[in-house]
Amino acid sequence: MGLNAPFPELESNTAEGSGADLSGSEADSGLGLDSEELAKLKASEVLSERSIYFDFDSFAIKAEYENVISAHASFITETNAKVVLYGNASYEGSHEYNLSLGQKRAVAVRDALISLGVSDANIETVSFGEEYANQECTGSACGQDRRTDISYEGE
Amino acid sequence: MNAYIKFFLTIFLTFQIHAATGIETIEILGGRASQIPIAITPFDEQVQFKQLQAQKINQILANDLIRSGLFDILNTDGVASIPRAVDEVNYSNWSAIQAQFLILGQVLPGTGNDTLEVKWSLVDIFKQKTVMTRILKGKSSQYRAIAHKISDLVYEELTGTKGVFHTKIAFVKKKTQDSYALYVSDYDGFNQKAIVKSQKPIISPRWSPDGKKIAYVSFEKQKPVIYIQDLVSGKRILLANFKGNNSAPAWSPDSQKLAIVLTYSSNSQIYLINHDGSDIKQLMRTYAINTEPTWAPNGEEIYFVSDRGGSGQIYKININTNETKRVTFEGNNNLSPSISADGKLLLFISQKDRKYRVALQNLLNNQYLTLTDGPHDESPLFSPNGHMVLFTYKDYGKTSKIGTVSINGLTKTPINVGSETIMESTWGPITD
Repeated sequence: MGLNAPFPELESNTAEGSGADLSGSEADSGLGLDSEELAKLKASEVLSERSIYFDFDSFAIKAEYENVISAHASFITETNAKVVLYGNASYEGSHEYNLSLGQKRAVAVRDALISLGVSDANIETVSFGEEYANQECTGSACGQDRRTDISYEGE
Repeated sequence: MNAYIKFFLTIFLTFQIHAATGIETIEILGGRASQIPIAITPFDEQVQFKQLQAQKINQILANDLIRSGLFDILNTDGVASIPRAVDEVNYSNWSAIQAQFLILGQVLPGTGNDTLEVKWSLVDIFKQKTVMTRILKGKSSQYRAIAHKISDLVYEELTGTKGVFHTKIAFVKKKTQDSYALYVSDYDGFNQKAIVKSQKPIISPRWSPDGKKIAYVSFEKQKPVIYIQDLVSGKRILLANFKGNNSAPAWSPDSQKLAIVLTYSSNSQIYLINHDGSDIKQLMRTYAINTEPTWAPNGEEIYFVSDRGGSGQIYKININTNETKRVTFEGNNNLSPSISADGKLLLFISQKDRKYRVALQNLLNNQYLTLTDGPHDESPLFSPNGHMVLFTYKDYGKTSKIGTVSINGLTKTPINVGSETIMESTWGPITD
């Protein structure tokens, strides 16, 4: 499998106290949704589905989510919306490895959107790992935490 | 299990007794029988403190030596007379309870206000000789520190390895969903103090080998970024806030560089960065996850976790030649590597049958053993002398806690620092 991402820029480290907060600066890119687009986003049943669930230690997008992902891909392409994909993992295993697993789930959704024509520039991926996961779950209940959430900027 | 222990310890825990005359080499062959039987008498304490000491010196010494797994602390209740000084030792009393060594002492008022002097001796019962007698002086607030110093001196005398009972640890305390703090405490959990508080998660603290700084990951910018807290000045710097996630800081042995993990918009990858945030460069690039870097003590190899083979396994890369080798093969996933100070042992979390246990692998011949039973053990780190492991454990449906396990697997001891969720700990270096 080839590398989808270009070699990353290494100059974007921000100094403490400079006010250059990364999440803030990216939100100011002028790509917010207008009110008509926001209304469509809310009204659409398929677009209000925002969570893609994965199996244990898995990153394969299940067939049942194809409709959801393709609806989001069309909407992002039409409106030039910016999305942040938040990857998550269940609490089992190390915090750091789960951060990587959550990221891999976010990247899986990113790759699916890109394969449907969405521009890489419209997507940011962030992982929360297990940090917001249910720490007391057992068995299949932990499956709720193995997911990627699609979040629209400006919504 | 004993066969495994025997294997490991004949190689790694060969240590020396320097006591009294000459040097004897003792090979620990595994099991309780190999522990050094030692009696620790209640000290003759002639100083009254305003605040009651939670533990007396003999109890602090016993707890220290028990944690190491190398000592069998004998019950002294049945011994008729407790000596206050070496000239009061009745050797037959102590050989009757099979003591090989004896620690005794007195706590006396010091010359200044609120000071004390602890006069203590280590006695070899077999040889009927005093190994050492020392006087340690300090303020009454240093009562526990003096006790730990005695433990260190005894430990080094009897094992040939420096003790770590004076060292510090740091850990994360999660009080509620939006209250996290990074604490520093004595290695046994006493004297805890919060050094960072946040409403967002804190993970992966790592103490610099020079003892001056702690790097950690904070989610306070709504995503993971890496800070370095300077313990001397109290200031912190933002080490890494690149696009995507910034996590898994690991100090180089000289404390000048860190290996860190960044994602940008792809999977976790390992980078090297100077401690001041300058000169970042990527160590390697694969499509798979590469994370949880940790340096070998030679400063030339980095062990890390990758799922390039289909599951999370530990690999090592030579940072000069980029030569990469897979290191772990047992179990479904092997995570969170840590290397002993002598470079010979790999400590990690091994996942098998949905249980996560602390495991050790002999890097010379790749033999493997598990030290704990899980089910959800995490973040194991060697003590600075390599004889103990600090780790996080969690039972089903319970909050996580931290504790130590001796590397011979014989002693598992909780570190009691609160009823909250306690996790993500790190061990500070030996300081003289």
